[in-house]
Amino acid sequence: MKGDKLYVFLFLTPAFIITGIFLYYPFVENILQSFYKTDGFFNSTFIGLDNYVRLWNDEIAREALFNSLELMLYVTIFQVGIALILAIMVNAITKGTGFYRTTFFFPIVISGAAIGLLFTLIYNYRNGLLNEILVNLGLERVLWLTEQSSLYMVAIPTIWNYVGFYFVILLTAIQKIPDDFYEAAALEGITGVQKMFKLTIPLIVSDLKTCIVLAITGTLKIFELVYIITRGGPGSSSEVLGTYMYQKAFEDTAMGYGATIAVLIVVLGLTLAFITNKLLQKEEVTY
Amino acid sequence: MKQFKWSLLLVLLFVLIGLVACSNDESGSTPVDSDDNSDSAEETDADTEEASGEVDLRVVTTMAGTDPAGEVFQEVLDEFVSENPHVTIENDSQSADAGTIRTKVNTDFSSDNEPDIMFYFNTIDAEGIIEEGKVVNLEEAEDIDLSGFNSMLEQQRHSDGNIYAAPQSGFYEGLFVNEKLFEEQGIELPTTWEKYEAAIKAFAETDIVPIAASTEDSYYVVEHYALAAGGMENYSAELADQNPAWAEGLDNIKKHADMGAFTPDAATIDLAMAQELFKQEQAAMIFEGSWLWGQLEEAEMGEDVTVLPMPVYADGGETGEIVGGASQGWFISTKSYEDEARHDAVVDLFNYLTSEEVIVRIAGATGQPPAKGALEGLPAYLEGGHQLISDAPAVALPINDRIYPEAFTHMRTSVPEIVSGNKTGEQVLQEAVEMEE
Repeated sequence: MKGDKLYVFLFLTPAFIITGIFLYYPFVENILQSFYKTDGFFNSTFIGLDNYVRLWNDEIAREALFNSLELMLYVTIFQVGIALILAIMVNAITKGTGFYRTTFFFPIVISGAAIGLLFTLIYNYRNGLLNEILVNLGLERVLWLTEQSSLYMVAIPTIWNYVGFYFVILLTAIQKIPDDFYEAAALEGITGVQKMFKLTIPLIVSDLKTCIVLAITGTLKIFELVYIITRGGPGSSSEVLGTYMYQKAFEDTAMGYGATIAVLIVVLGLTLAFITNKLLQKEEVTY
Repeated sequence: MKQFKWSLLLVLLFVLIGLVACSNDESGSTPVDSDDNSDSAEETDADTEEASGEVDLRVVTTMAGTDPAGEVFQEVLDEFVSENPHVTIENDSQSADAGTIRTKVNTDFSSDNEPDIMFYFNTIDAEGIIEEGKVVNLEEAEDIDLSGFNSMLEQQRHSDGNIYAAPQSGFYEGLFVNEKLFEEQGIELPTTWEKYEAAIKAFAETDIVPIAASTEDSYYVVEHYALAAGGMENYSAELADQNPAWAEGLDNIKKHADMGAFTPDAATIDLAMAQELFKQEQAAMIFEGSWLWGQLEEAEMGEDVTVLPMPVYADGGETGEIVGGASQGWFISTKSYEDEARHDAVVDLFNYLTSEEVIVRIAGATGQPPAKGALEGLPAYLEGGHQLISDAPAVALPINDRIYPEAFTHMRTSVPEIVSGNKTGEQVLQEAVEMEE
């Protein structure tokens, strides 16, 4: 037993060293930077908690936080929800499973930047795809990206981009359910909808939980789609924490304040993952 | 079995030692280690270079991406290398569009990985690098040839009295107007504030957008509206002064947006898309810099466009005052200059890049006024631009070259909120001042 412990320690050490250097060290450095007014390079002044006070009073940061949480809600509900529906539907068919699996998974392999550009060209007011269609139909052009709509317009490609990922996870989970369960239920006279709610979903609940945690924590990392499609605008109506941090740290060279926003993102991510895990804690289903 | 265990442990120990050694090399977990390692690496590099006589140089510039000078610059480097076979040059240029060049340059200089020569903003952006002594005072540097420059060289003089950058070319910003569209619509060119507002009104009634602009990336719009409202005296004020002309300029943007001056999606398009609108003749005017000519020539519409100074309506101001200057220059890093193995190659390359022939060639790609010599056989529209500078009663650098970057970003990114009526110019200016403090 003692020997095993030694092996455990030895095998884990390389991983600890690499994680320490490339993850924990930069994170500690980031926390330290958040106590400075600095461009990250040549000018640095210790200002204590001033950056945190500024973050507390910063209206744009507050808007970015609420936008991130709102986006998280849409993304979690629709990404996992649509993925679940698609997985159940694809599982129900006998022919063409491979085709649908590839089609739904396809957006995952396109880079976020390319999807961002694609949707920029779709939403563009004068030459965009949607407005060209409207004009050809004899209708007026529509301004798709307004202060009221921009967050929804960003949520659409974000959801589309990752539905395939959760679709594959859930489809695999559904396909692992033994046929005996369905056969027994069929003998009991179960209907299609009952089968979904009383059999399939309860049996894949642990996979659903994983998908929800991944969707929630993944939303905090959203950056490129917002940055390319709306640049956080109009105004700051679609600003999220990732784009705001980038703007402060790299465009405004206010690295200290950018680091403070990064701390908020990490704390928020950990808190949300912890809460989600607690809320969704349920006995694992084994079969 | 016991023997096997010990062998396995030994192997793991070696792997561990290897990993630790590698991580020390790469990460520089402490500053001392990092310096030691880089020093020894430099010594090895220098020894190798001295022994072989071969020198590897790295050059960072903003001549990349859509900048038409990028191609010419690479040609110029290739020619230098073919004449100096012992030198190889890595062209590490990056477009200035997204502002990330600042992060790149600062990262390079603060991580002891500075380029040998760079073409960079000699503005507030270079303050830290200059104060740290990371670049050479060119006037005191031996072998550096600073002769033959026009007045742009003097514009590079730092507040400490030294010159750290040699200029390449000057630039001007102004109101680029598509004369063809003005003629077709029978609208007078915007040579005065009244005619400018009349043109906005007239084009707003057609399918042509009066002004191609991004209100989020509203660098040039903000600058020109401040100039129009205040004239050069107020335009050149400090941010801390909270000059009312700047606030009035910002409010004028809203006034004109309400008149239909911009495309309805101006708050979400970027500069490149605004340029596209102008190049596709869907917009009649655009606030831009002299670097736009390269793109207009590519779009074969140079002949249809003319550049005008922003109409100034302020008392004491004069139409003809322009935003411009020479805000970028060639720097030599102190580290390379003091390195015996690289010194000669760096000096040769610097003198070559700042020779009249090369400066004129690079300037020719964009049509910008060169810092040495003159461009010949220029088309009339480019001549017109150069005339703009020579006739200008006053020229000043852009606001964003003079004030704290975060404060200017706040001003320009708040324009959509001013346009939507959520904020006033005065309020935004107040917030920007607080950021600078």
